[in-house]
Amino acid sequence: MELFEALGLNVKILLAQLVNFAVLLFVIYKFGYGPIMKVLNDRQNKIEKGIKDANEAKEKLVEIENKEKEVLAEARREAQEIIKKAQAIAEESKAEVVEITKQEAAKIMADTKKKIEQERAQIMSEVKGEISELIITATEKIIGKKMDAQEDKRLVEEIVGGIK
Amino acid sequence: MELNISLAPDILFYIGSLPVTNTLIGSFVISVVIIAAMLLVKKRLKKDTPGKFQNLVEFLMSGSYDFVVSIIGSEKKAKKIFPLAFTLFIFILVANLATFIPGQAAVTFNREGESVAIFRAVMADYGMVFVMTMITVILVQIVAIAVHGPFGYMGKFFNFKSPLSFFLGLMDIVGELAKIVSLSFRLFGNIFAGEVLGSVMLFLAPFFVPLPFLFLGLLSAVVQAFVFAVLTVVFVKLASEIEEEELVEEASM
Repeated sequence: MELFEALGLNVKILLAQLVNFAVLLFVIYKFGYGPIMKVLNDRQNKIEKGIKDANEAKEKLVEIENKEKEVLAEARREAQEIIKKAQAIAEESKAEVVEITKQEAAKIMADTKKKIEQERAQIMSEVKGEISELIITATEKIIGKKMDAQEDKRLVEEIVGGIK
Repeated sequence: MELNISLAPDILFYIGSLPVTNTLIGSFVISVVIIAAMLLVKKRLKKDTPGKFQNLVEFLMSGSYDFVVSIIGSEKKAKKIFPLAFTLFIFILVANLATFIPGQAAVTFNREGESVAIFRAVMADYGMVFVMTMITVILVQIVAIAVHGPFGYMGKFFNFKSPLSFFLGLMDIVGELAKIVSLSFRLFGNIFAGEVLGSVMLFLAPFFVPLPFLFLGLLSAVVQAFVFAVLTVVFVKLASEIEEEELVEEASM
């Protein structure tokens, strides 16, 4: 007990200090620790959520970019296809035109040939007639006498047939 | 000037039968300062844009909370012990640092030819330290009983399995009692010694010579506050742990 006295230990003072400390503990717990920890936790949650949102937004952005690329590629591919198709169509129509022209040309050629043939045949027959008359005249002159009509014609035909 | 060193705090006056010592007043004042600071923080608590003071308090609190979690290893336990540990830390820290406000030693008054100091380091009053130590030690016992059950708790001290374990159980009782002494006298001794050393140095060579001792005192002021709070957490952690032996026993039951 002497030690307690030397240290100044007094039950009443101890009690007062205990109460004092208890009040301090209560106040810090109630007004300090509780609300501040809550604020800290809230802030941490908020920051975590923000980071999460940012990451999500980034991911979405990448996704959108990929989609954009895909769409562009698709569009390019389609354009290429359309051009190819147009080229093919053009090629085809060109070939058709050429074909038609060729046909036309061939037709004209054939017509012309036919006409020429006809004309030639006509000229030939005309020439034949004239030649035969000429021959008759010439023969009359050479022979000097007029043959009777029947004999004459037979002779001419014989000659002309030999020419043919 | 005479050097006046007393182990016990000086009684300034009486309220009824309650002797009011200088350290009792000191502890009240420090409590009021801390409470006022806390209320100020609470009043100005901003969610997303903390002010400078709120930042400081938040830094202190979250830092020490993480530290307590790292010691005790579980968020659940840490949440329970943290308010007490933090209060102990902040109270001891502020009380210790308050002694460095200059001019306190000069404030005395005369009573029956004796000079009585009005200010004294709060932790240099064994009563205050003893109260805090008892809070810690009793809390540790409560935690131990809650974790191990009353019979498990008693069984730790009175073990009749073998003479050796009976002896070790008795030693555990000594160990629990030694906790009171080691925890309280570490803090009280450091601060009291610092006080005495400071006043002796001030008495012998008032200029410049006490400065290194002041720095040393500043260091021990912070360290002792830290040590007391951390030891509290460690004791609670040790008491709240279920030892392997017990787990084996429980499993075989």
